[in-house]
Amino acid sequence: MREITLSQAVNEAIAEEMRRDASVFLMGEDVAEAGTPFKVLSGLVEEFGTDRVIDTPISEPGFVGLAVGAAMTGARPIVDLMFGDFIYLVMDQLCNQAAKQHYMSGGKLTVPMVLRTNMGATRRSAAQHSQSLQALVAHIPGLKVAMPSSAYEAKGLMKTAIRDNNPVVIFEDKLMYQDKAPVPEEEYLIPFGVANVKREGRDITLIGTSSMVQVALSAAEILALEGISAEVIDPRTIVPLDEATLIESVRKTSRAIVIDEGHQSYGVTAEIASRLNEKAFYHLDAPVLRMGAMDVPVPFSPALEDLTVPTPEQVAANARKLCGGELIHAA
Amino acid sequence: MPRNETSGFGPHDVTMPQLGMAQDAGRLTQWLKAPGDPVTKGDALFEVETDKATMEVEAQAGGYLTHVTAAEGEDVPVGQVIARISDSADDDAPAPAPAPQSAPDEALPEGTQITMPQLGMAQDSGVLVGWLVELGAQVGPDDLLFEVETDKATMEVPAGASGYLAATLAQAGDAVPVGQVVAVIASNKPDAPVARGMAAAAPATKAAPKADVAPDPKPAAPAKPAQAAPAPAGGRILASPKLRRVALEKGLDLAQLVQAGHPQPFHMRDLDVLESLAATAPAPQASAAMSTIRLEAGCPEDGFTAFAQWAADVHGLHDADALLAGLAGASLDRAATVAVERFGASRVYDVPAARSLSAVTEAENPPDLRVRDLRMSALSGISIGAEDRPVLTILARGAGLALVLECTPAQLAPDQAIALLSEFAGRMHDPLRHLL
Repeated sequence: MREITLSQAVNEAIAEEMRRDASVFLMGEDVAEAGTPFKVLSGLVEEFGTDRVIDTPISEPGFVGLAVGAAMTGARPIVDLMFGDFIYLVMDQLCNQAAKQHYMSGGKLTVPMVLRTNMGATRRSAAQHSQSLQALVAHIPGLKVAMPSSAYEAKGLMKTAIRDNNPVVIFEDKLMYQDKAPVPEEEYLIPFGVANVKREGRDITLIGTSSMVQVALSAAEILALEGISAEVIDPRTIVPLDEATLIESVRKTSRAIVIDEGHQSYGVTAEIASRLNEKAFYHLDAPVLRMGAMDVPVPFSPALEDLTVPTPEQVAANARKLCGGELIHAA
Repeated sequence: MPRNETSGFGPHDVTMPQLGMAQDAGRLTQWLKAPGDPVTKGDALFEVETDKATMEVEAQAGGYLTHVTAAEGEDVPVGQVIARISDSADDDAPAPAPAPQSAPDEALPEGTQITMPQLGMAQDSGVLVGWLVELGAQVGPDDLLFEVETDKATMEVPAGASGYLAATLAQAGDAVPVGQVVAVIASNKPDAPVARGMAAAAPATKAAPKADVAPDPKPAAPAKPAQAAPAPAGGRILASPKLRRVALEKGLDLAQLVQAGHPQPFHMRDLDVLESLAATAPAPQASAAMSTIRLEAGCPEDGFTAFAQWAADVHGLHDADALLAGLAGASLDRAATVAVERFGASRVYDVPAARSLSAVTEAENPPDLRVRDLRMSALSGISIGAEDRPVLTILARGAGLALVLECTPAQLAPDQAIALLSEFAGRMHDPLRHLL
């Protein structure tokens, strides 16, 4: 199978959906000629013109509000937020307007909008351009949240998001745009709420989102050499969450570590760990561990920044503790 | 430096005492000393009023009253630090820290204090087997300093600091609470190294964290061991939810593990032990213990990890457990069924008499031999006694391995046991010889 970058996969997904449906359009800062700072959208303005690939002023609340209105009146906007950190600027449009229209209008209005943005540290972009804020959005009922872990997921999830009749936020890891993965030539969609078992194992379940799936897979390689068999699961969408697959895996392995690049406290990892506690308690042979980014603003110093994100070695070390029957967090 | 008559040295925190059974705070009605005043142990320091009584509180140490943080008329929670008794009137050290201070034993040389480590989950003391460094000799941080025996394991403890072994505070055979100082490593060669046993080392128990209690006229409570795992005795049994459920389903009682001294917390890996305890509970265990064969072998290098990688890369044999079972089974020199156990999970393999590792297949019949892989554990030694099958235990030892075989003479005659362990040790050291 051919291999393409995550960036090309997103570009293909959007181009295919824009060809398929004339109501789909793209809007955001530097999306047209510039093709975004990460060059994800290069070439789209040439094919679809400036009516459907629209450069906006630097005014996130303005253009996201505009997209919500367009979506309510029949268009299917894909709105590009250059950095995930800017999501703070559009919270009202996203959480108070887009997320609630369907409910408050009794289904008479829907907001078929995709907000595509990014996450991920270690790009030396400092505290205001390195955050992973998926937990903020996942907390709000009415918003779906997809987190692709490779080019394959990026394309399939994007196409599903564009066809969804309700608002979807997609977080792409900005460090993975040049990572290649096998992506079929033929069309495919990845349904929301269906987790992917990336690697089967019997001793411990590693649940990772986005780039943390790669971290979990590397940890599983380390552990395999030591005779610990780790299962790696990518939920792919954290809202909706494929709880059944996660619980089934933990019932088999009896142990789990949840890894996400958002800050560890009050995060995605806490939610998933809590559900496993509630629904697989009598199958747990060890506490479910969370591994998130350190609870500090992302440092600009490269040496410090690298310390804030979970690594395969740290995941493997925690897995060893759980599998070795160590007393975790002794009272 | 002037030093008043005192029970200890260095700053002493003054706290609000508990004067009544149900009292949780006291009103500080009056200070009887002013900040900077000299204080002798036993001096009335301040006056406290509770629901029922007003009482003068005596100083528990001598020095100078400093760092007064509670004002007259203030209600202060029991145990809160309200002042400090310092060595000088102008002590400007930071405000009293809650961290326990170890009172230095004056008779001890200065240097890094080495404490009894916690080696097991529920361990609260360790028996000192012996010193591995001569008193006064030079040591490096990685040099093995002493050997400790716990319920199940014997382990050598590295020095962790470099210098000279200036003091040993326990003798072979002493049971030392976890966290207690057992040695001092000094940076300079000591003129008069100190050697004591536990009986003589009573002052050193102060090094254990003191309980956070108010000044109390009663004799001090015995020092608690540092960070001991929750004591199982009488309390709740520490066991994973899964093991609790499975034990319930099988009608097994976790208390049997507690009675047997099995280290907590209990996990699924302990189920085998629990089942064997339940099976043998009515019968006395002495006879079984008497007739145990226990053999130990060392492997200077672990050849298996690299071999498993090679077998996976070159021959597509990805199941390292099957390889392990194959090596163990072949060491028996006949077709055998081998269980490989790790972290409570057990997988069983049929190993044919021919030595082809690719012909090892997963099976479900009862094993002839168990291989217990504890390479990832902290254990450095093991002595469990015979079980229902011969057990080969693999432990990490430095860059190499330690291999222990436990069985009864009925399971394996002594010469068979010796042959099995010798063969297996050779194969783990150099798995390629398996092919010869």
